[in-house]
Amino acid sequence: MMWRDVGVTLILSLILPVVAQGARHTPPGKPKLTSCRSPDKETFTCWWEAGSDGGRPTTYSLFYHKENSETVYECPDYHTAGANSCFFSKNETSIWVNYNITVVATNALGNNFSDPVDVDVVYIVQPHTPENVTVGVLEDEDGPFLRVSWEPPSKADTRSGWITLIYELRVKLEEAEEWEEHRAGQQKMFNIFSLHSGGVYMVQVRCKPDHGFWSEWSTASYVIVPDYIPRERSMWILIAVFSAFIFLILTWIITLNRSSVKHCLLPPVPGPKIKGFDQQLLKKGKPEEVFNSLVVQSFPPRSTDYEDLLVEYLEVYVNEKQELMPEGKDLQDVGCLKSKSQSDNDSGRGSCDSHTLLMEKCGGVESKDESSYEEPELLQGQAGSWERLERGDSQVVDTPDSSDGRVKTWPLVFSPSIHGSSDNHHYGTLEMPKQHSTSEITYSVPDHLFPTSTSFPHHHHPEYRDSLGEYSEYRCSRSPSTGVAYHWEARHPTQAHSNFNIRNLERQKEATGLGLPPSRSMEYVEVQKVNQENQLVLKPLSSHGRGPFQRQREMAEAGQYCNYREKEGAEAERYPTQQQGKTTKDGPVATQLQESTCLTTSGYVDTAPTMPTF
Amino acid sequence: MNMMQVMQSVVWAVLLWPCLVSLGVPLECKDEQGSIILCASISKEKLLDRVIQHAELIYRVSEESCTLFEEMFVPFPMRSQRNQAGYTCATKAFPIPGSKSEIQQISDKWLLHSVLILVQSWIEPLVYLQTTLDRYDDAPDTLLKKTKWVSEKLLSLEQGVVVLIRKMLDDDMLTTSYYEQGVAPYALQPEVLESVLRDYTLLSCFKKDAHKMETFLKLLKCRQTDKYSCFLH
Repeated sequence: MMWRDVGVTLILSLILPVVAQGARHTPPGKPKLTSCRSPDKETFTCWWEAGSDGGRPTTYSLFYHKENSETVYECPDYHTAGANSCFFSKNETSIWVNYNITVVATNALGNNFSDPVDVDVVYIVQPHTPENVTVGVLEDEDGPFLRVSWEPPSKADTRSGWITLIYELRVKLEEAEEWEEHRAGQQKMFNIFSLHSGGVYMVQVRCKPDHGFWSEWSTASYVIVPDYIPRERSMWILIAVFSAFIFLILTWIITLNRSSVKHCLLPPVPGPKIKGFDQQLLKKGKPEEVFNSLVVQSFPPRSTDYEDLLVEYLEVYVNEKQELMPEGKDLQDVGCLKSKSQSDNDSGRGSCDSHTLLMEKCGGVESKDESSYEEPELLQGQAGSWERLERGDSQVVDTPDSSDGRVKTWPLVFSPSIHGSSDNHHYGTLEMPKQHSTSEITYSVPDHLFPTSTSFPHHHHPEYRDSLGEYSEYRCSRSPSTGVAYHWEARHPTQAHSNFNIRNLERQKEATGLGLPPSRSMEYVEVQKVNQENQLVLKPLSSHGRGPFQRQREMAEAGQYCNYREKEGAEAERYPTQQQGKTTKDGPVATQLQESTCLTTSGYVDTAPTMPTF
Repeated sequence: MNMMQVMQSVVWAVLLWPCLVSLGVPLECKDEQGSIILCASISKEKLLDRVIQHAELIYRVSEESCTLFEEMFVPFPMRSQRNQAGYTCATKAFPIPGSKSEIQQISDKWLLHSVLILVQSWIEPLVYLQTTLDRYDDAPDTLLKKTKWVSEKLLSLEQGVVVLIRKMLDDDMLTTSYYEQGVAPYALQPEVLESVLRDYTLLSCFKKDAHKMETFLKLLKCRQTDKYSCFLH
């Protein structure tokens, strides 16, 4: 019994696999069409893959039918394209028609259909790779470049226009990692520029119809680029070398001329230059010695030294009238210090040179060369009714140390009198600056001095005397032309001072022809400047409406430089000229001024440039 | 009165000036016969080149439109199934050659006529397609522009082919635009799958036909330039 069971089990166990094996035979699995491709749009091939085998030998067959017909055809050629493929020849291929293709797997047990696939040949075109890819190195003026050329695949009929192919190529250095791709369009040639000299390049080409798939890349072509120097780089090298060279030369030149370059770029600031001033002495710390050298022997001017001084005051002869001004003597003390007496062109002469403003200028008193000017007072008056004018010394002249308020009041003072105010008396007072006494220069001209109060041309000859008794006589004489010109005589004060416009009033009562003949005609003059011979250059005033009291500003405006003539002698009365070296002790003609014969518009006599000398 | 009359005659002369000119000068020149070379018209070769360029461009734009439409509206499984549910491309009354060998056997005349038929058959459906696409909610602007452009260019292509036929074949008998019976417009709602598929079919059929036109014209050109080499392949 037991043996029988064992035997049955054995037999069963042997039989079962066999039986089972026989049971694995099934109908084949479902095949699948993988792809269909046409290389030339005239033929095409379809490939499929088999499903499961089913255990039995399976055969595959492909059936198709065209788009609008139901006739089913079988694949004409199973072998040309290899296993599991179907090749459609030209005769079976229709363009622009959809093929409905099915693959059937058949074995002994059954068959299985694949899913149908629609294929239009036009859209499955994948050409072969381009052929005859050649790469050459050509020379250009910018350097070498690669010229790649190829031909279309032989199967594709591009010549008749049946297929239109577009190409693409890619390039890279052999050791590089990334390709550089270029579209070449429909052309069969391409240039590649900007190469690395001495590098090895790989080139590949592929193509595609305008409605299909890209072909495979062609096999790589290698090319070696010869060595060359890029022209651009060599040019830069040349430029760099050249510039370095020039730079070196420039540096060398500058180094050689260091000092002059420095002088040119950073011009030295002019320092104060005082003649006779020795800096070294100062550094040594001996101020006495330093200042000693500055002392001019002739300074302060002695009373005999009239030539050096400019007498700047107006002497007004006043008819028993008030002695307005206190006796102030030390005109000379006030005023600006100027080293003008030394004929040094460097030092601050400029401001004194200009013939404006009493206020601003520092009259150089001491030497003839100094430009100082005197403010002419417009004084008109008749003989006998002169008023004394006193001037402060420092008024006219700017200056730093001038005492307050002196000169500045002049214009104010004078103006009303000029314009023919109704007052009969015009008062101007000259204040003699005694030391730091305020000088208020006013003067007035008595009314009767004016023939008519409104008209300017007066035939008066004002004479001014300061209260100190030192006075300068100023004569106003009228030029033949219109306008009133003043001329004045300046006398040196007994004490010498410097740098006053009106300064150094000198009293010479005795010498003064205090009363000048009233019949003298008078005019306003303006001292334009002092010329080289220390002569005052005057110009007559033309404007009637503007008195000399406005001169301060107007002087600046008067640009006209009139002819000057120097007259002496008999004409001195009318055209007094300033003589150098002439003493003031002489009669009325104390100073002689050069007088211009032409008219100007400014209002006062400015004796700026020269010192009157006596 | 005299002035008025003079003025009138001047005005008339000015107005009729173009007529005078056109009467005097022929618009078409015949260079071969050595007559007046006042060529106001274009040569055959240049015309053919331009027509080919036109066809190429139309094809390219139609391909782009089809792709756009496919991406936007057609569900994935249904792509590339062009004759789904019976929407096949309309058959033409005229037999169009379907393979290269057939085309090579065809004459120039028939080639050109085929092109003309193709062009004319698509004029109306494209207009219809434009209206349908406008009804889509989210049709991209580029798609609409492209279809519009294509339908315009098709008209000019038709004119070019007519002129070409006249020149090359000396066939003046053609009239323009006789309409083939194309796909009948269905008043279905847009974006329903059926209408989507129908439109999709329309686009792809047009794309195919555009490619046909292009190919025919190119083959024609080859024949014009080098008749024998075209046949050898």
